Amino acid sequence: MIEIENVFKKYKNGTHALNGISLEVKDEEFIYIVGSTGSGKSTLIKILNGEEIPTSGKAIVNGIDVGKLRFSKVPLYRRNVGVVFQDYRLLPRKTVFENVAYALEVVDTPKKELRSRVREVLKLVDIADKSNAFPDELSGGQQQRVAIARAIANRPKILIADEPTGNLDPKKSDEIIKLFEKINQEEKTTILIVTHDTEIVKNHPKRMIMIESGHIVADLNKGASI
Amino acid sequence: MIRRFFRHIKEGFFGVGRHLGMALSSASAVTITLIIIGIFIVITLNLYEVTKSIEGSISIVATIKDEYDSDHLAIQERIDKIDGVESIIYHTKDQEFDYYLDTMGDDSLREFYESYRDDNPFKAAFIIYTDDGNKIESIKTRLDDMIEIDSTSDGGSNTYVLVGVLDHVRVVGGILVVALIILAMYLIYNTIKITIASRSDEIWIMRNVGAKNGYVRAPFLVEGIIIGFLGSVIPMLAAVFGYIYLYQSVSGRLFGAFVLIEPHPFVLYVAGLLLAIGIVVGFVGSYISVFKYLRLKR
Repeated sequence: MIEIENVFKKYKNGTHALNGISLEVKDEEFIYIVGSTGSGKSTLIKILNGEEIPTSGKAIVNGIDVGKLRFSKVPLYRRNVGVVFQDYRLLPRKTVFENVAYALEVVDTPKKELRSRVREVLKLVDIADKSNAFPDELSGGQQQRVAIARAIANRPKILIADEPTGNLDPKKSDEIIKLFEKINQEEKTTILIVTHDTEIVKNHPKRMIMIESGHIVADLNKGASI
Repeated sequence: MIRRFFRHIKEGFFGVGRHLGMALSSASAVTITLIIIGIFIVITLNLYEVTKSIEGSISIVATIKDEYDSDHLAIQERIDKIDGVESIIYHTKDQEFDYYLDTMGDDSLREFYESYRDDNPFKAAFIIYTDDGNKIESIKTRLDDMIEIDSTSDGGSNTYVLVGVLDHVRVVGGILVVALIILAMYLIYNTIKITIASRSDEIWIMRNVGAKNGYVRAPFLVEGIIIGFLGSVIPMLAAVFGYIYLYQSVSGRLFGAFVLIEPHPFVLYVAGLLLAIGIVVGFVGSYISVFKYLRLKR
């Protein structure tokens, strides 16, 4: 459950990124956040991720007031939130398997559990046959699948994807969104997809929140995806 | 827990390997620093021994005329009031005799002199210590003026010149060492800064999947410690073998006068100290870097 209450965010350089956003996302919901560049989407992700603190207002995720978290508690909180980016951000010198395993290693997952979980998520994102490949041997769509596998490996309650299809052609984009739908159903993960790809939104209709200049300008199909 | 520990160590070694040139240049800065520190420690500790051995002569021995000996408490009180006197020890005639006997290395000589005890030719004496070498002359003059005092003697002004030189050596050496330590730390700091920058992707991923701050920092601290360790290997060997070689080639006496400290276990202490300094320098250098560049992100 995500509850954002009247959040304002003003950066030190004077930019007003968010101007009073209020939003409620229920567990296991699948939503799109749509807006042009500079609309405040990325800031919203950073606030949910614990990277930025709201200037005023509250962001409560699973009962935790994210802005009030102490530095030392942020990493533990972050294990509840998986993030996927447009540019994948895989470690080039590690194999697909190792890239996913890495996310589990840093949170001290026991070795046996780690191996079975990596296999499980690689299967889920349908890339198990490439476990021993290196990222540069994969296509963009495949790399994004690995990034998604890594983001969900720790079983986060919420998965945020920032322009996940930004570098992909329409067919691959469609597959990635289908993958998110599968994760939403199989892993019971709440999914927030930030995008400006209108094709996706049209082909896979869900609740859609439109942000413009730090304001929510529309909240369509509320309740549609639950 | 143990697995994680080894993982950090492994990552630390990878970090050193990744920027071998940088790591080696910082390690060689540590090496140079530690060699100079090592020389400095060896000199200082030897000088300290020398100073301690000549300390006995930084005092005035004033013998008391036999007829006034019974009055020594009153005399001591008067001497105590002289400017510059720090402490006074009173030796009876017997104690002076014993002291003299103690300086005899040979037991047979000692026995020979022992037979003269009843005829003790020594006089009771005050051993007067001062905290200021410059006042020794004036104290001596005042003592010579006292009719109760038979004679006075001191170690001579050369003692003070020597002590003064030793002090200067210590100060200059200390400043040099501190400057070099700062330089070595700075180089390690920069090496770690570059490692952090080159691993920013990895750090970003670690943070993103919820690695704790300590987990993210540990490999860099390990890397700093490894650099410090690498830098201390040559100085340790140099301290051990260099000092043993020096000791043997001068037969334990420098310029025939200064007795050097026995190499064993002295060189091991010096080597251990150098290793500890190297590791601390590496740790502190990387710690500052890690805290500066890994802290301000949530």
